[in-house]
Amino acid sequence: MSSSPGTRPSFGSILAGIVALLAVVGLLYLLVRYGPEIVRSFFPPDPVTSQGRHINDLYTIVFVIAAAIFFLVEGLIVWSVIRYRRRPGDTELPPQTHGHNLAEIIWTVIPTIIVIFLFFISWQTLNTVEATTPQPDLRVKAVAGQFQWTFDYLPADGGADTKPLFSVTAPVGKDGGLVLPAGKTTHLYLSSLDVIHAFYVPHFLFKRDVVPGIVNQFDLTIDADQAGQTFRGQCAELCGVGHRIMVFEVHAMAPGAFQTWYDGKLAAASATPTPVPSGGGGGPVVDLTAKNVKFDKPELDAPADAPFTIHFDNQDQGTPHDVDILDGSGAKVFDGQDFPGPGVRDYGVSPLPAGSYKFECSIHPTFMFGTLKVQ
Amino acid sequence: MATTALTPAASAYRSGLYEWITTTDHKKIGILYLVNSFIFFFLGGILALLVRTELAQPGIQFLADEHVYNQLFTMHGTVMIFLFIIPMLVGFGNYVVPLQIGAPDMAFPRINALSFWMLPLGGILLFLGFVTGGAASAGWTSYAPLSEDRALASTGPGQDLWIMGLTLIGTSSILGGINFLVTIFKMRAPGLTMFRLPILVWTVLVTSILQVLATPVLTSALIMLFIDRNYGGGHFFDPQFGGSAILWQNIFWFYSHPAVYIMVLPAMGMISEILPVFSRKPLFGYKAFVFATAGIGALGFSVWAHHMFTTGQVFLPFFSFMTFLIAIPTGVKMFNWVFTLWRGQLTLSTPLLFALGFLSMFLIGGINGAFSAAVPVDFALQDTYWVVSHLHYVLFGGSVFGVFAGFYYWFPKMTGRMLNEALGKLQFVLVFIGFNLTFFPMHQLGLAGMPRRIADYASDAGWNDLNLAASIGGFMIASSMIPFLWNVLISLRGGEIAGDDPWQANTLEWATSSPPPPYNFDRLPEIRSERPLFDLRHGRTRAITATSDSGPAPEPTH
Amino acid sequence: MTSPSTLVTTGDPGHSVAEHNPVAGLAHDSRGGISNPILGMILFICSEIMFFSGLFAAYFSVRATATTWPPPTQDPRMAEHFNLHAEPWFAFVLTVILVLSSFTCQFAVWAIRRDDRTGFLRNMAVTIVLGIAFLIGQGYDYATLGFGLSDGVFGTTFYTLTGFHGAHVFGGVVMLSVVIYRGLAGQFSARHHDAVEATSLYWHFVDVVWIALFSTLYIL
Repeated sequence: MSSSPGTRPSFGSILAGIVALLAVVGLLYLLVRYGPEIVRSFFPPDPVTSQGRHINDLYTIVFVIAAAIFFLVEGLIVWSVIRYRRRPGDTELPPQTHGHNLAEIIWTVIPTIIVIFLFFISWQTLNTVEATTPQPDLRVKAVAGQFQWTFDYLPADGGADTKPLFSVTAPVGKDGGLVLPAGKTTHLYLSSLDVIHAFYVPHFLFKRDVVPGIVNQFDLTIDADQAGQTFRGQCAELCGVGHRIMVFEVHAMAPGAFQTWYDGKLAAASATPTPVPSGGGGGPVVDLTAKNVKFDKPELDAPADAPFTIHFDNQDQGTPHDVDILDGSGAKVFDGQDFPGPGVRDYGVSPLPAGSYKFECSIHPTFMFGTLKVQ
Repeated sequence: MATTALTPAASAYRSGLYEWITTTDHKKIGILYLVNSFIFFFLGGILALLVRTELAQPGIQFLADEHVYNQLFTMHGTVMIFLFIIPMLVGFGNYVVPLQIGAPDMAFPRINALSFWMLPLGGILLFLGFVTGGAASAGWTSYAPLSEDRALASTGPGQDLWIMGLTLIGTSSILGGINFLVTIFKMRAPGLTMFRLPILVWTVLVTSILQVLATPVLTSALIMLFIDRNYGGGHFFDPQFGGSAILWQNIFWFYSHPAVYIMVLPAMGMISEILPVFSRKPLFGYKAFVFATAGIGALGFSVWAHHMFTTGQVFLPFFSFMTFLIAIPTGVKMFNWVFTLWRGQLTLSTPLLFALGFLSMFLIGGINGAFSAAVPVDFALQDTYWVVSHLHYVLFGGSVFGVFAGFYYWFPKMTGRMLNEALGKLQFVLVFIGFNLTFFPMHQLGLAGMPRRIADYASDAGWNDLNLAASIGGFMIASSMIPFLWNVLISLRGGEIAGDDPWQANTLEWATSSPPPPYNFDRLPEIRSERPLFDLRHGRTRAITATSDSGPAPEPTH
Repeated sequence: MTSPSTLVTTGDPGHSVAEHNPVAGLAHDSRGGISNPILGMILFICSEIMFFSGLFAAYFSVRATATTWPPPTQDPRMAEHFNLHAEPWFAFVLTVILVLSSFTCQFAVWAIRRDDRTGFLRNMAVTIVLGIAFLIGQGYDYATLGFGLSDGVFGTTFYTLTGFHGAHVFGGVVMLSVVIYRGLAGQFSARHHDAVEATSLYWHFVDVVWIALFSTLYIL
């Protein structure tokens, strides 16, 4: 029969035992070698916002209680397995304990108390995290679409529907991302162009869904000593085939630097006239359409050493696209201005030497690209 | 004790294909459920291995089209939930419950057969998506408006096939639930009062109530989604056309939260059968256990919006409170199990090993779920790999380990032969280590910020090593299936003959031959406690001498 | 189909229960209590109630978030069609038909409990005719409503709710037809008529859902 007490272990049992032993040894090795990092890995990233700090404190309390419960119960299990193995001499039944009222009451009441305590401190933390100030220092709307983030900077007394002062369409890089003043409170609005997305920054220990038809909003206060830091963020709600490319950066700037950046953006927004799709940059016209985050043509042709125009039709409602041209080494030889659809723009391209180039949308480079043959 | 003179060979399932296709015998149907569910387990597992292979390293390895990746994890989740774990547990219930209550079959045998055959058909519908332009790819949760396919990467008929397949499978679930309830309420042997029922029967009872009341709500959501996609123009769930995306989530989760209890309660029931037998003690705190199970079933209807904490559209304190509350009956059960082991005489056979695995893994899964009950912490953890870790700890570390425990425990009853212990132990060690290697690092990944459902990740995010470890673990889990399958193969032919009661067990299914005759019992013991066979074996009760209705009504012997 | 209780007997087979107590003639089995098929039907009806709850929940949710109901449309005639309050009388007639059919269905059940097979068959026939009349009436209503399934939130929710109800009425009519067929073949008696009881429970359920629908869509 199966392992009744006292039989010789079989080959399979020995093999199983060896594998188990190896695993335990391996685990111990990892613990000794990587101890501090392992402990660190059980906690979220160091928070950089005041809201995040409250969340982190709550996490720590929950973690301590969780660890205590785990070691207690797991300890009882392991102890039982070691201590209460059936021995060859055990022919009599063990005491047939059906229950124990006091024990059962204790292990119902104490968890209830723990749980109620956890609920209350969670609720308190929630109220702190969700609190918004009536006079934030900045209002920004993060617009999520398939598959990009656009950040609209709103006027001081504006709301989600107010026309933004300027927009940032590049989600990452030194010229892009969500730029926020450190040490100040930003009120963030979340707006979706299409499906549900989620605004998630691990270092904030925070995410909020971006639901079409609804505008979620919350306050963010990055710590003053985080000025100069960049934090990565990413969409955290499956939104289609481009879900994984919806990354963005949050740049925290000291108030002075932020003001400089902000004024620069304001100036650029008011200085640039709304570009008029001109009849021609000269030369032949190449048609290109963007629809459903895709170009309609994988290949374009243009003459060598002569200017030409790309007549670009962006048909994606609310979604910014552009056309950039890169040469063989990946350097940008033409940088088209991005704009949200629906709209048409004529890009006048300066003469290019003959060769094979790549054209792409800088906002969706993995989806929208093709080959430009110049000859 | 043997109740018939039949040898195991006489009632072995040598029946032909026609017999298997047309059977209404709960035992054969139970085996059909188990086999079908294992097939889908392997299919779902392959889908998971494809996902883990892609994620083992940063950079796109072979899934150039993220649309394919989205189909893989969508189908993995859908298949594992609806075609593997729920039917697998229903299969065990089908086989064991009528035997445990001393009944000759389920209340509605033909509907039982119908419920089964809807499953392979539903599965085929789901998988047909792969050959019709793409299977469903909006996640198993199918959130609107993404699942309405209005804008980008339309899957074509795949999502509709998903809806149809799930509607069929859901109907199977509802009919099965009705069948179990009527069977358990109306067909118990004399003396088998409700508080003498085996815990597995109690858990199947509560599960069936959940199936009957919650599944139809999913059906209504699926139908509304279907109408939105094909006829209605998106008015239910697409905000662009006046609908509400959050409405989908509310209706969906109203079913899908009780569904997780459907996926785990019967496994808890199986553990509750196994622990007492292999500790040689009764289950500690039987009544508390029953009330805890009922409490979990009831509370399970009140927590659904904890899946929606980050939507900003939920009354957070209520759902947080109810979610925390569910930890209490769950903890009671945990202690009941542990104190069943305490001061017992444990035999570390494979069923007990898997049961111990269940206890340890479910403990972790329950604990890491409690983090998410604390709403602000959920803001950090929701939709990250932390949740993937949690759900796999409770569903795999919990339910699947429970399934294997039950499989090793009841295989002798179903086939008359014992499974090989050494191979069983090897499988256990491999799957235990592989499982933890796969899913424990996901705690760290989630905390570090890795979201779910992404085909690839930045190579400088710091997630590379943990992903590689998880992928290796995944293949280790797969490898553990080899000794398992080999074990089943050799044991079916040449395993040790089991006899009626190889485990010295407590409940009625062990009071008949292995496998049982078609009508289950010739004789039953007197039933005076929740361990009728134990009582019989220790001289506290006697057997009822005759039960056939061809003679006069018998007098119970005294 | 054998009564499952006879394989493990307790003693008294129990047909005496019905003979001494006519009220308990309602679907008994020898162990006392409700019969298996009827318990099964009750549970099935519970599941159907939950199905309709999902649809009603969607309707109420959509309506609660709409600023005006019926929701505004660009086509002025559509707005007129949406105004079900203005002409509820046809739907009211349908309601009367269905409620009447529930009465006749119950009369049929009472008849067969008394072993009055003729009364049972007659009332069952009237019930079926009324059920079919309801379906035809519903079809006529659909044809003259002036809006369709895809006409805004209003159209979608209206047709989804009433459409699935109509499908359930159709299923009920099929069940009633099977019952009357079996009745004509002499398969029912005072002692054995589980199918009649179960079907009548289903029919009453369908009626109650209609009353809820009518009140919600036409009155509220």
